[in-house]
Amino acid sequence: MSAPTSELRQPLVLGNPPYHQITDEVLRPMEQWPSKLWWGTFAVTATWLVLGLVAIAWQQYEGMGTWGLNKTIGWGFDITNFVFWVGIGHAGTLISAILFLFRQKWRTSINRSAEAMTLFAVICAALFPLIHMGRPWFGAIWFLPYPNLRGPLWTNFRSPLIWDFFAISTYFTISAVFWFVGLVPDLATVRDRAKHPIRKIVYGALSLGWSGSNKHWVHYETVYMLLAGLSTPLVLSVHTIVSTDFATSVIPGWHATIFPPYFVAGAIFSGFAMVLTLLIIARKVLHIEHLITMKHLENMCLIITATGMMVGLAYATEFLVSWYGGSNYEGFCFYNRATGPMAWSYWIMVSCNVISPQVFWFKKMRTSIPVMFVMSLVVNVGMWFERFVIIVTSLHRDYLPSSWAMYSPTWVEYITLLGTFGLFFSAFLLFTRVLPAIAIAEVKSIKKFAHKGAHGHAEPAADHGGGVPALHHAPAAPHQGV
Amino acid sequence: MSAPAAAQPSRFLVAYFLDDDGILAATKASRGAGLPIFDCFTPFPVHGLDAAQGLKRSFLTYVCFGLALLGFLISLFMQSYTQAIETPLWSGWPLIVGGKPFLPLTSFVPVLFEMSVLFAGVGTALALFATCGLYPGKKPRFSLPGTTDDRFALVLDPAAAGFDEGKARDLCQRHGAAEISWIEAN
Repeated sequence: MSAPTSELRQPLVLGNPPYHQITDEVLRPMEQWPSKLWWGTFAVTATWLVLGLVAIAWQQYEGMGTWGLNKTIGWGFDITNFVFWVGIGHAGTLISAILFLFRQKWRTSINRSAEAMTLFAVICAALFPLIHMGRPWFGAIWFLPYPNLRGPLWTNFRSPLIWDFFAISTYFTISAVFWFVGLVPDLATVRDRAKHPIRKIVYGALSLGWSGSNKHWVHYETVYMLLAGLSTPLVLSVHTIVSTDFATSVIPGWHATIFPPYFVAGAIFSGFAMVLTLLIIARKVLHIEHLITMKHLENMCLIITATGMMVGLAYATEFLVSWYGGSNYEGFCFYNRATGPMAWSYWIMVSCNVISPQVFWFKKMRTSIPVMFVMSLVVNVGMWFERFVIIVTSLHRDYLPSSWAMYSPTWVEYITLLGTFGLFFSAFLLFTRVLPAIAIAEVKSIKKFAHKGAHGHAEPAADHGGGVPALHHAPAAPHQGV
Repeated sequence: MSAPAAAQPSRFLVAYFLDDDGILAATKASRGAGLPIFDCFTPFPVHGLDAAQGLKRSFLTYVCFGLALLGFLISLFMQSYTQAIETPLWSGWPLIVGGKPFLPLTSFVPVLFEMSVLFAGVGTALALFATCGLYPGKKPRFSLPGTTDDRFALVLDPAAAGFDEGKARDLCQRHGAAEISWIEAN
């Protein structure tokens, strides 16, 4: 086939590998014994997880007094971590749903692992409110409306905390469904290659007897699009509702109408940084650099810069409104945030989230793996501090100077945070072992994109008349495989 | 759907292709030549194959809308009932919270939205599996080697009107079939 090559659009899969090679390369990591590197990393993350479990057990045994909270600062690490982890999850849904609806084909190599990340991040997030209850086994009883003998006394649907419960549980369920529906065709591929009888049974059951029938694909594609369409407003609603936990209160520094868009932008910002961290490692360890290409990483860097500036705009707007609004308390809160005893956390936040992502304006920076990797960590530190700043600095100096206090987290809180990182990374490492980390069917379907199909899409510079494929470029690209 | 009718033939003619363009062209040509297409089996959804095969749009969009509406109504009922409404059949328990109204519809919006999405998403996925007859433990009807990997199979129905083996073989070969063979259905 004489495949015309467009130099305007970089290929999404380098080298135009045969279909079978894509299957092989994606499934190889799960069909062979894991490497020493995998075991080493897993040993470390599993240790964090175990430490975290010990800390959680201690909190349950001893009570919430093991935290460094006091009368003034009633929310500290717990809600900071909760909002942080929920935010991490948002990039997964953005990549899998929103970019799908916008026909951003570059999403196909990274959506599976980003969705996995979403699920694990939401589990990490959900842990904190559960622990915070003190008696987590009552969690469902307190939140779910069910007929009871207390009057009947029902949950209060006018409370944002109840909205949050519904938002997070719906988000987790729908993300899991979306993920599973996407996995079914790939699980069938795993089933058909399986040699071990147990593997055949397990993947046979999970793939639900998928055969690749086009009569099924018709329904499948429709449902996949519907789920993407449902997930898109869902993901925006989740962080909006999380932000109402704060915005509907009357605490200066929380009581702001800008919170919903501000939180959603921040969530996407931190989530993309986490996807970047994971994928930079995963593509190297799993040897899939030609499937997750520099273009993917570069696009993510651009999104990080864009959302980073949105977050920066929100920080500035908060200050402007606190001045323009004329409320003394509001004004003091922000003055104290930037210059008070916790100013260090504020300036960490600003330098990590607003200033440092500006390096991605330079192509050299956003195509350099070490720079990207460091930046992805910096952004996540910054976004963790953003939540810390919003929660703790707003609380620590309230209306009554006699009740002003400082917050010093205890070892229990630090270890619990470490434990959630252990849970997140251990789950992700296990995921790369037991499920295809890249959506095989989707990558196959876009393999020819840019090798063959790019001209069909709106190309700003391709208006050379006649709608002829972009043949005027010499087919010099090395990926002229067919 | 999972129980095949006794009248269904057990043998089918299958042409394997190594490329999506090949199966697309062959399917279009078969339909044009009046050959009865039973189904196509592909490792990924091939664009245009639905139309080439003469498949209709999925009806699951309507299912999705209906389920969303159901979730909306159920959560509207739950919230109004638990927060405010008293009837002879049940007694609600209006809670005074900060003097807010008992039936504030705007405060119900987040849960209304979440429940609509929850019902629609989970229900539509289940409807997909029900429509396609997919469930854990189901065996695919055909075992067509490579169709979840790198081969595209066009399955022709020999029992239907218009089937002509010679014509079918000739047509598929012209469109670059890698292999043409008979297969037994499970």
